[in-house]
Order: sequence, then structure tokens, then C-alpha cells
Amino acid sequence: MQRLGDFKLPHFFNYPPYFTLQPVRETRDKQVQLWKELILDYCRNQKIFVIGLEDDFPLFSNPVIERSLSHEAKELFLAALVNEGRAEWMDKGHKKCLILWMRIQDWAEYIINFVKENGFEDGVMTVEDIRSGIESRGTDLAGIDRTVLMRALRLLEQKGKATIFKGTSTDDEGVKFSV
Amino acid sequence: MRRRPGIAGLQTAAATRDQYRLVGDNVAKIRTDLMKEQLATFRTQLEEFARKHKNDIRKNPTFRSQFHEMCAKVGVDPLASNKGFWAELLGIGDFYYELGVQIVNICLETRPQNGGLIDLQELRNLLCQRRKSARESVSEDDCLRAISKLKVLGSGFEVISVGKKKLVRSVPTELNRDHNEILEMAQAHGYVTAEEVERKFSWSSGRANDVLVSLLEEGLAMIDDGHRDGKRRYWFPCVSPMSGTSGSDQKI
Repeated sequence: MQRLGDFKLPHFFNYPPYFTLQPVRETRDKQVQLWKELILDYCRNQKIFVIGLEDDFPLFSNPVIERSLSHEAKELFLAALVNEGRAEWMDKGHKKCLILWMRIQDWAEYIINFVKENGFEDGVMTVEDIRSGIESRGTDLAGIDRTVLMRALRLLEQKGKATIFKGTSTDDEGVKFSV
Repeated sequence: MRRRPGIAGLQTAAATRDQYRLVGDNVAKIRTDLMKEQLATFRTQLEEFARKHKNDIRKNPTFRSQFHEMCAKVGVDPLASNKGFWAELLGIGDFYYELGVQIVNICLETRPQNGGLIDLQELRNLLCQRRKSARESVSEDDCLRAISKLKVLGSGFEVISVGKKKLVRSVPTELNRDHNEILEMAQAHGYVTAEEVERKFSWSSGRANDVLVSLLEEGLAMIDDGHRDGKRRYWFPCVSPMSGTSGSDQKI
């Protein structure tokens, strides 16, 4: 079994035709499905939030069988994720894609649990604290993409569970939780 | 013997015929009884054997296939009914019933990948993975038996031989000679190119193309345009399963 770092690759990754877009509809549907799952799994495993279509992304080529995905194929697989709400294009030209291996509402829930576990129910944290503080070490919040985090926090704000405010001394934003 | 005229003569002839028939019937009856007795003895012995080796039959696939062979020779089909003595004794009907259901499931699940044609070995591997918890192991013979029982459903489950491999077909597609030849050829590397096909069978490029396209449409083939030489390869998941059971394992 081939691996990328500590990530175990699925069998189809070694089967050359999966790197060529299939012309027959049913075969292609299956192909897209497999790639979608692989991209989400890999990003979740490696905590990747952004895929640049023009950068080298280890998942999009397999040197062992000397195959790599065409630009068209990459865009199609990511577009399929976008359609399902598991990814978003970050620009009009579809060059960068934000991967939501956890949906925004799941992130919001995750943050609530995190807050409860660490006793911040009525406390204040800076956004940067959440991303790189001691408390978040070892959780999925460590190194979370800022855009994703802000979206989740804003969702919590809408629900009245958090208030985001501008810090006075730094330009970092603060969050007051009221869970 | 001089034919004697008269009614008495006719009566005697009729009586003689009756006598012969009686004796004949008797002989036949004795023979049948004897046969019946022998068969009964045999059946008892077979039952005794089955009872004694119940566990072996259940757990050991080789033993099971030999037992089936023996049963077939004497015209006993332990799978004929799930209610009969055999099924009750061995639970063997349930075994194949369960196997059949699992086979159908696997065939349906892998259909999008292989177009409804799966290598028997691959099927068996998947089956064993699925049955990890069950202690009885499954042989190819068991798979074949279970599949032959599925035929009753009329859903087109069939085992076909292509080259050295046995393939299980779960879609009612008819494979013609051309298809078969390409599938056989693909067993060597897992794929073929149109050029190779034309050269090997001396087909026109039109014919080769038609067959390849129809295999694509059936979902049996997948194209691969990624090779350096720029030639399109047609891969056949049914003869080169990607789970890497046939040497396609790669490590880096």
C-alpha cells in the first residue's frame, strides 16, 4: 500500500485510468466520487484547507505510476465538492479552493465544545489564541485556516453564542463567548 | 412344438404367459428392493458420515467440495432445499444462501468500477474480507456453487471463462467473441491499446475501435491517456483488479 506521509492511499490511486477523466457517464460518476472522498480524507488527515490548482499538490500526481491529473480533472473534482458544499472557490478564476473537510456548522460546534472543555464559557480569547494557543494544541483547531475560523465564529455570533470585537491594542480580533 | 388347436391350447398359452410375467415381476421386484435397500444403506451411511464430519464440512472448504462431489455422484443435492434433512443437519443451505446474498451485494457494489464483470478470485477476496468475522473460510468452489444457485433468480448471474481467468457476470450483457478476445488479451498487462489489438488480431482500425468503444460503454473498460507515449490505454478492472491481488502492489 502506497502512502503519502502517514496517509494511507486508496487502491484506485495506483490504477492509471483514474487519472484520466472517463468519457462514460457512470464510470465517471464513480471516479468523481472516489476522488471527492480522497481529497476530503487527505485534507482532513493533513489539516489542509486550501488547494491551489496551479501548485504542486501531492495528491494530484502519482510518480509511482507516472500519472497526474489534468487541470480540467482537478477543477472538475473540486467543483463536485463545491456543489456539495464541502468546498468553495476562493477566486473567480477557480485557481484556489477552500476545502471544508468539516462544514462551517460543524466547526462552530467543535469550537463550542472546545470552549466548554477549557472553561472559556464566559471568557475572552483572541482569534490567534484559538488558532495557536496552548489549549488548542492537539485539537483540530490548531492551525485552522483563518477564513474558516472567522466564518465559524460569525455563525456563532449569529446564534448569540459569541461576540467578535476589534482589539484596541493589536489588530487581532477578540471573541467573547457566552455559551 | 406342435401347435395344438382348440380352446384348451389357447388357455394353456395364456397361462404360460401369465406365469412368465409373474416370475419376471418377482425378479424385478427383488432387484428393486435390493437396490432400494442398498440406497437406503448408502444414504444412512452418508448421513452418518455427514453427521460425523459436520464440523469439517462447515469449516474446511476442501473437505466441503469433496463432500459435494460425493453427493453429486449418488444424486443427492444437499442444497436442493433448505427444509430437508441435509440442510437441517448441516446448515449448509443457509451457508450458501448467505454466500449468495453476499455475492450479489459485492457484484452490485463493484459494478460502477468493473461494469458488472468481476474476476472470481477478486470476488472471493472481497467475500473473505467481508466474512472476516465468520470462522468458515470460503473457496472458489463455494463461490461457484453459490452462484449456480443464484441462476434460479434469473438475474443473469453467470460464470464465464476468459483465457485463464474465470469471470462472474452480473449484468445481462452478451459478450461476443471480439470482446472476449480483448478481455483475454488484457490479462497480460491489465490494459490494451487500439494499435496492439489491431496488430494481434489483424483487425481493421475501425473494428478494433468499435469493440473498444462498446467495452467502454458497457463500463467494462476505462481509458488512460496519461502515459508518456501518448497512446490511449484501455484498462479492464475485471481482469486487473486495482486492489492489487495480482502483483500490482507498489511500495515507495
